[in-house]
Amino acid sequence: MAATAQAISAAEAERQELRGLLHKQYRWLDYKFDIVFWVTAAFVVGAAADITKLLFAGDWDFWTDWKDRQWWPIISPFAFIIIPSALQYIQWLAWRFPTGATYTAVCMFLCSWVGRAFQWQGFVSYPLAFVWPATIIPAGIFLDWVLLKTKSFVLTSILGSMVWTLVFWTSNYMTLAPYLQPTQFMGHILTVADVQGIQYLRSQTPEYLRLVENGTLRSFLEETQYVSLVFGATLTVAGYWIGQAIARWLAIWPIGRFMKQF
Amino acid sequence: MATTSVAVQRAASGRKYGAIDWWGGWRTCILACLGFSALFIALALYMHAFAWTAGIDASSPEFALYWRSLLILELVGVGVGTIGWWAWLVRSGRTIAQTITHEEEVRRIVVFWGLIGATSVVLYFMASFFPNSDGAWHQTAVRDTAFTPPHIIMFYCAFPLGITMTIGTYLYGRTRLPKIYGASNGFPWSFFFLIAASVTEMMQVAMNEWGHSLWITEEFFAAPFHWPFVTYGWLASGIFALWAESALRLLGIEKEAEEEAKGAPAVQTAA
Repeated sequence: MAATAQAISAAEAERQELRGLLHKQYRWLDYKFDIVFWVTAAFVVGAAADITKLLFAGDWDFWTDWKDRQWWPIISPFAFIIIPSALQYIQWLAWRFPTGATYTAVCMFLCSWVGRAFQWQGFVSYPLAFVWPATIIPAGIFLDWVLLKTKSFVLTSILGSMVWTLVFWTSNYMTLAPYLQPTQFMGHILTVADVQGIQYLRSQTPEYLRLVENGTLRSFLEETQYVSLVFGATLTVAGYWIGQAIARWLAIWPIGRFMKQF
Repeated sequence: MATTSVAVQRAASGRKYGAIDWWGGWRTCILACLGFSALFIALALYMHAFAWTAGIDASSPEFALYWRSLLILELVGVGVGTIGWWAWLVRSGRTIAQTITHEEEVRRIVVFWGLIGATSVVLYFMASFFPNSDGAWHQTAVRDTAFTPPHIIMFYCAFPLGITMTIGTYLYGRTRLPKIYGASNGFPWSFFFLIAASVTEMMQVAMNEWGHSLWITEEFFAAPFHWPFVTYGWLASGIFALWAESALRLLGIEKEAEEEAKGAPAVQTAA
């Protein structure tokens, strides 16, 4: 009985201490530090996510005809989850915010669209209908939701990665679907995306890469995308842990650590 | 209470704005971020205007006029600017006061955050804004030189400025924030990773050009010889440790000031 009362008293004291910290008035620390951090960090976070996407899976993200059923659902979710996973760890550790993946997704969304509109459309004149980037904002929200519910990075890596891949596909399929409609082109049945790929010249991409979806997987007909999605989800688990390693060893571990000698 | 004491200190120091005012300590952040953004957007507009008209044939006189001259201007400008800024940081750091008031230390941390913010903006232009122009250009136009218009701006202006900012920010911390990054503490791992990111990215340019000399017809953006740009870029995660280290010191300053206000001797808080 006495032990229970003591535990309640300790919990209450801790609650009061936390409440005191929450309402503590600092002399210098104010809202401006928060604003500057969240705004300026957005640049490096968006850039890190975008460059990871561009150079690991960029070709599948640049063009509608590359957004296929065979490789896009495998390579993209793996490459796209790396930096959101890192930010998820950092924000959960620092503030217990289950927001890292969503924050990264929004930062990358802005960076991607600036890049596509200003460079791909403005500089080289490809229409945005051909070079629109995939979104990971819905997938990021779900990944954060899994962390919020499980409070476990291990479970989030397994369940969250599955959810991430599935939501990535479904949320982007809505944008992609109109480009998968059949059309006749020079006596052949092609998709609208294929026609875009033929009509808008990419003179430096080799011919054989233009037929993106190939191999015997196509003989699985309607099953192709589901096979790819499941394999993509398993690869994404590895991508999640690459992001965790980046956050744990490169962002958090160095805090307050110094080398005395070179 | 706090307002009065800050106003008194501000009057005593002769500064018009306080350490944490937007146009006080945060001015560095605002001006540096806007300045770099303006510079890079101006260069991008120049690229949009002259890449197609004068940047296709590297052997043409137009290319030499519009692009090789820009390359030389960038290398000289960034080189002189960088050496000048670093030299000023080191030289003035030798004479600047190392025993400082809390207000002054907070102002320096705010300026430090401004430099970190500006570094973040430069990293964005390095790793997202210009790589998009690079991809769009090289998947469309034939390469006949390693110094293509997007490369001249991205690799020889944005990338070197990344090194300027990461090492410059370290020199600022080393000379102005002795309790966090003073020489006696050793070399911080946070800066080691961040500086390594900017330096290895620059070095990777050599491998990139070598790779393109081998596979010149295949502009496959996710090609393996591009991957080191990503893995080296991940080292920039050390930037989060900079924010954390300086934020911990800010909390330490708040605690010291609080104890001083109570009349107790200030306890020096480790950063």
